[in-house]
Amino acid sequence: MFRSLRPDGADDVTLTLNGQQITVPAGQSVWSAIALAGQPITRRAALSGAPRSAYCAMGVCFECMMEINGVPNQQACLRQVEPGMTINTQTILEDSRITDAEL
Amino acid sequence: MQSFDCAIVGAGPAGMSAALTLAERGLRIAVLDRGQRAGGQIYRSASQSPLPDASVLGPDYTKGADLIARFEKADVTHLSGADAWHLGDDGRILFSQDHSTHELHCREMLLCPGAMERPMPIPGWTLPGVMTAGATQVMLKSDATVADGAVFAGSGPLLYLIVAQYLRLGVPIAAVVDTTPKDNYLASAPLLPRALKQARQLAKGLGLLNEIRRSGVPVFRFASKLQVLGRETAEGLRFDAGGKTHDIAAETVFLHHGVQPNLNMTRAMELDHMWNAQQLCWQVVTDPFGQSSVPHVSVAGDGGGIIGADGACLAGQLAALNSLYRLNRITLAQRDTEAASPLAELASMAPFRAFVDRLYRPAEALRLPQEDDTLVCRCEEQTRRDLRRGFDLGARDPNALKSLTRCGMGPCQGRQCGHIVAGLLSDWRGDSAEDTGYYRLRSPQRLLTLEELSRFDHVTPTQALPTRQQNEAPE
Ligand SMILES: Cc1cc2nc3c(=O)[nH]c(=O)nc-3n(C[C@H](O)[C@@H](O)[C@H](O)COP(=O)(O)OP(=O)(O)OC[C@H]3O[C@@H](n4cnc5c(N)ncnc54)[C@H](O)[C@@H]3O)c2cc1C
Ligand code: FES
Repeated sequence: MFRSLRPDGADDVTLTLNGQQITVPAGQSVWSAIALAGQPITRRAALSGAPRSAYCAMGVCFECMMEINGVPNQQACLRQVEPGMTINTQTILEDSRITDAEL
Repeated sequence: MQSFDCAIVGAGPAGMSAALTLAERGLRIAVLDRGQRAGGQIYRSASQSPLPDASVLGPDYTKGADLIARFEKADVTHLSGADAWHLGDDGRILFSQDHSTHELHCREMLLCPGAMERPMPIPGWTLPGVMTAGATQVMLKSDATVADGAVFAGSGPLLYLIVAQYLRLGVPIAAVVDTTPKDNYLASAPLLPRALKQARQLAKGLGLLNEIRRSGVPVFRFASKLQVLGRETAEGLRFDAGGKTHDIAAETVFLHHGVQPNLNMTRAMELDHMWNAQQLCWQVVTDPFGQSSVPHVSVAGDGGGIIGADGACLAGQLAALNSLYRLNRITLAQRDTEAASPLAELASMAPFRAFVDRLYRPAEALRLPQEDDTLVCRCEEQTRRDLRRGFDLGARDPNALKSLTRCGMGPCQGRQCGHIVAGLLSDWRGDSAEDTGYYRLRSPQRLLTLEELSRFDHVTPTQALPTRQQNEAPE
């Protein structure tokens, strides 16, 4: 279980996580925010659909890719929460994935 | 287009120290970091900790606030939240900032991308709830977020530091599972006498181990055969220790067995690299000043070979002195006079580093997966068996195996599996790491959206000034 050491209620922001409203301390990463909300699944693995969650929290594993404000492949550990943000678990499977090679 | 005299990628101890040395001489410098604040890994959020009392993190952390303050006052264009994804040997850097693409040009390029943790590919390491110990620390430093009742497994100073930080905060820990092999104590013993010259460092390390011992947290030593339990998420850790198999229940399992240079940037630039047999990782080939095989590209800090934060500061200064000389701001004699003291200090750290590297050399069975079903490439879900099949079909080097199996082709671009794939291939071939090679990488070094690419501008020294002032404004 993840827990915040900050005093309760100081500068909270409200976000929508998978259609549900959650309130978390401001100035957090999106990853910490969803972990604190008790919903640490960030994405489904592209082939097997297995649940995945943040591994490195510093931008080098890409396990934390989520759909943030409608844009997929956003690294939740590198993004700060903003009031009103919409965050969804990413479920892009192999056949529908856009890779950098196509760009 | 107007260009910067020097662009530095990474605002950790290496990048900040280099920037300070260059700024003193009036050079036009840009420092890019994907983080919102300067500090790098060790000094993450040190200037503005969200913790009620940051002193629990230790004096090595809090002293970072001073370096950051000096950096923020210096006449430097600090581009924060700037993720560099293309670095050209023509001095061009492309980076993303605020969902747009920016370009800058520089005469000298200094890469300070730091380290990442060595992956630990054990069964179940992809289950939600399994993270690196460094990740725990990132969450603690930046977000004041902790996990109760976790298992910490692995070895090395950083692991013990993070455990001690949790203990000082009173966060309950289920167990510490130490994987340092027994043989390492014997093998490192001959290196101890010379390491004793850095008695302060040694005392610090022993202090951490004592803190853990006195805390009463269960510690299992010489642990092997680690396996994360659980189906959909982590439920615990199974391992062998003291002749028995243990199961420790935990929702979070934190793994760590050392750090290795963050290679993707230096590899994509095709700088010469070499295998470091002492640290079991690849690193950039440089001269004592950090100058790479491309003369105007230098590397400093853990991104060019693991030397630790104090070493990173010295390496940053040395690279900066060399750039000053290359830009005709100082003579060769001046460079060498000013470099004498940092060079000597860096050399004096080597024996202690050698001892620690040998003592905490990761167990082979944790560095390279032993079971056929263990995932090696997390992104493309390739197991050891899949890779072996590729090898048997004739893929003998990392690039051939990549084309055949897609390992290393996912969004992390081989950051996690690179060393593992190369290590397995080297074992299977019975060849050296050098002969086996590493992934060939190229830009962009991250996933980009078309929208981001469509918003484009140039950053020049004069135009960049307002950005810096804006960054300096209190929030
Ligand atoms: C997770 C983690 C935690 C650590 N904690 C400690 C600790 O508590 N104590 C300790 O002694 N050592 C710690 N270390 C070891 C660390 O490597 C230090 O020795 C030190 O931070 C190295 O300094 P550096 O300047 O070389 O790199 P870093 O401090 O790692 O700084 C590198 C910087 O480069 C930036 N960067 C990287 N790539 C890009 C890019 N493409 N675009 C823009 N910016 C980029 C990063 O955001 C980072 O801020 C830690 C390492 C890791 C990986
Ligand atoms: S958790 Fe590894 S990239 Fe975000």
